[in-house]
Amino acid sequence: MSEKLDKHILANGMVILGEPMEAVRSVAFGFMLPSGAARLPDGCGGAGNVISDLIFRGAGKRDSRELINDLDGLGLHRSSGIGSSHMTIGAALESENLRPALELYADIILRPKLDSEQFKLSKELAVQALLGLDDDPRGKVGLKLREQFYPQPWGRSPMGSEDELRKLTAEKAEEIIKQSLDPGQMIFSVAGKYDFDKVCSQLEKLFAETPQDGLQEVTPGQKGKRYVHEQHDGAQVHIGVMTATVPVSNKDYYDARAAVSVLSGGMSARLFTEVREKRGLCYAIGAQYNSLKEMAGIVCYAGTTPEKAQETLDVILREFNRLAEGVSEEEIERARVKLKSALVMESESSSSRAGGIAGDYYLLGRVRRLSEIKEKIEERTVDSVLSFLRNNRFRDFTVVTIGPIDVKMRD
Amino acid sequence: MDFKKHTLDNGLAIIGEVNKEAQSSAVGFFVKTGSRDETREINGVSHFLEHMLFKGTERLSAFAVNEAFDRTGAKFNAFTGEENTVYWAAVLPEYLSEVIKLWTEMLRPALRKEDFEIEKNVIKEEIAMYLDLPHFDVMEKCKELHFRGHPCGMSVLGTNESITNLTIEQMRDYFSKRYSPNNMVLVCAGNFEWEQLCSLGQAGCSHWQSRENSRNIEFISGSKEKKREQKANLTREHICLFSPSVSQQDERLFGAMLLAVIIGDDVGSRFYWELVDKALAETATMQLGAMDGVGIFCSYIRCSPENAGRVNEVIRQILEEIAVNGVAEAELQKSKNKVLSLLTIRNELPMGRLIDLGRNWLYLEKYRTIEDDIDSIKAVTLKDIRELIKEFKPWEFTRLSIGPSQGI
Repeated sequence: MSEKLDKHILANGMVILGEPMEAVRSVAFGFMLPSGAARLPDGCGGAGNVISDLIFRGAGKRDSRELINDLDGLGLHRSSGIGSSHMTIGAALESENLRPALELYADIILRPKLDSEQFKLSKELAVQALLGLDDDPRGKVGLKLREQFYPQPWGRSPMGSEDELRKLTAEKAEEIIKQSLDPGQMIFSVAGKYDFDKVCSQLEKLFAETPQDGLQEVTPGQKGKRYVHEQHDGAQVHIGVMTATVPVSNKDYYDARAAVSVLSGGMSARLFTEVREKRGLCYAIGAQYNSLKEMAGIVCYAGTTPEKAQETLDVILREFNRLAEGVSEEEIERARVKLKSALVMESESSSSRAGGIAGDYYLLGRVRRLSEIKEKIEERTVDSVLSFLRNNRFRDFTVVTIGPIDVKMRD
Repeated sequence: MDFKKHTLDNGLAIIGEVNKEAQSSAVGFFVKTGSRDETREINGVSHFLEHMLFKGTERLSAFAVNEAFDRTGAKFNAFTGEENTVYWAAVLPEYLSEVIKLWTEMLRPALRKEDFEIEKNVIKEEIAMYLDLPHFDVMEKCKELHFRGHPCGMSVLGTNESITNLTIEQMRDYFSKRYSPNNMVLVCAGNFEWEQLCSLGQAGCSHWQSRENSRNIEFISGSKEKKREQKANLTREHICLFSPSVSQQDERLFGAMLLAVIIGDDVGSRFYWELVDKALAETATMQLGAMDGVGIFCSYIRCSPENAGRVNEVIRQILEEIAVNGVAEAELQKSKNKVLSLLTIRNELPMGRLIDLGRNWLYLEKYRTIEDDIDSIKAVTLKDIRELIKEFKPWEFTRLSIGPSQGI
């Protein structure tokens, strides 16, 4: 990660961020569009999945086949993702093709054809993907967990429900696309090899005319249930556990990250040691930090055969609760080294950096630099992490299981 | 980029590609052993052994190994396939020597009986996990059907039965045969000091004893059988196709890779336009699986059970069309652009480079630069593709589908 950050804001409010990388020939870019799952109108769950497919089925002067052929001709590797707040579409490619790629993406975002026959196909694929989740209990447990943990609509699954998808009309999809084109809420980011002045003047031309509709504010509602079980006659019980912690913008954020690292930062961390190494309960076990803008959680997953499910959950919850009792100097040192190393290694990938700077800007309103993050990580001590844990006890756990048997939640 | 090579007296090859521009380094031991080197009786031993290396040495316990790795901040792990077992780490240059020392030490594991018994549970959990991932399950089963009677059909994980019956003595015996220094290579990529790598390799590995190794690398074109299995808990039809292709040693490797992209890349391919674009299937991809002396084109398609009959018919048409009319120049060019840009992006990370270096050494005992690969890809012609199609006949495939009870 270089210390240099390029930043420019267009007159219409669209933010353009860039991080130059000396050692690469590739470039990665992403458009964060304010049409994440939580921002969809009620009853339109899953529309994001339909839209992210539909906008690639013809845009500007090109029909579906011409558009895909031209994207492929640039050797471009597409990426897309639907989060709570934003939908991100982007790509990684060789840098000399950046200019024509941005032309195509402006068409895709601003002038998708939205042909009604193509809409039906996009919708059918979204329904298939949703139904396919039943064959992927691990993936499903993650989505259901967020649904229960975050107050609605922030935890909404990007897949929607079958009923919502079936009811979605082409007109409604078009309306959603238009509403989500608020340039003041759009973040463009680029990382790797690029010429920032050229990128800015090109985007200025492409996006200057974007209408500003203004977005509805999202008002968080109720949280879901403490425990949900879904019966599935598979080989394992898939267990998801989530508990609240501080978001990225909080002053204690780095202590929270260090705490998660003590819990699950490597093979010597608490969860792997207690659940897998000592007891042989699971193959897959781990916890991660997960942040929205205003709220955050620690997400834990374990997959285990039915007879071991209860013990697995009990050990996991005990390890969460035991953290505040004490952490060692060695554990904190390992957490510091791990977090710093991950940071530097991530800085070698243009795709990671394009995603990273845009994410920072949305969550914090600014982009953190390497030196700042390193310094904050280095400042963590046993005392700072412990006092954070003691002032922010893990109280409520949201648990979701999918599998042949359920588990008991003990208090 | 600067390539270096050294071979120890016991046959261990040490290779490296130094890139001083990189922020990090990647290091790995590539061992030429996997499920195809097993017998039915000890099926799963290669993969189980990979787990056991993390259980430590005479000097280090499993906990000590994990802590030592985590102190370096490395991203590290291992994976086992049909023919290779790879131990890798991506790490900052200042911690690299510590990580190399750890790997060289761990490659001579204690293989303690008590660790072996606890880890058996973890292996069985991993087997259970893959049973709940139907796209893996279907590929494993299709592999077995396609390679029937050939060692490449063996499961990587083994079965509950083979793992239950496996003994620590069988594992120790397998280890001493297969983890011979002349059957592996120590590889480093990114920002590192070559002399330091060599001296750490010399210090850590020169006392390892070499043994004779061999592997049956007979070519097989596969059973071409078709089979469907039912599984009550599934809602989708999972279809897997295997047909023969080039081996890793074949000069036509890149041509076959491009053909797989033309037929089954996840976007813009023949499969994409006829199956995914038309919403007949949710996903439909083909990949080249080039191996030691053999190769496969492997396709995976997921669709609704109602569409399965139609999907199979469309696949037949796609491959028939290719048999009759071949592919177009524009398709070949697009596939080249996609493969070339992916090559550039992947090789910007020391980890990506490590995998290519190790693979080329294991199969070819050769160093290939990124430019060599770029040139080979650019040189592929329509005639090459035509000949590959003619020789390997992708329409003659083995098919295994798994789906719910009420399907086709």
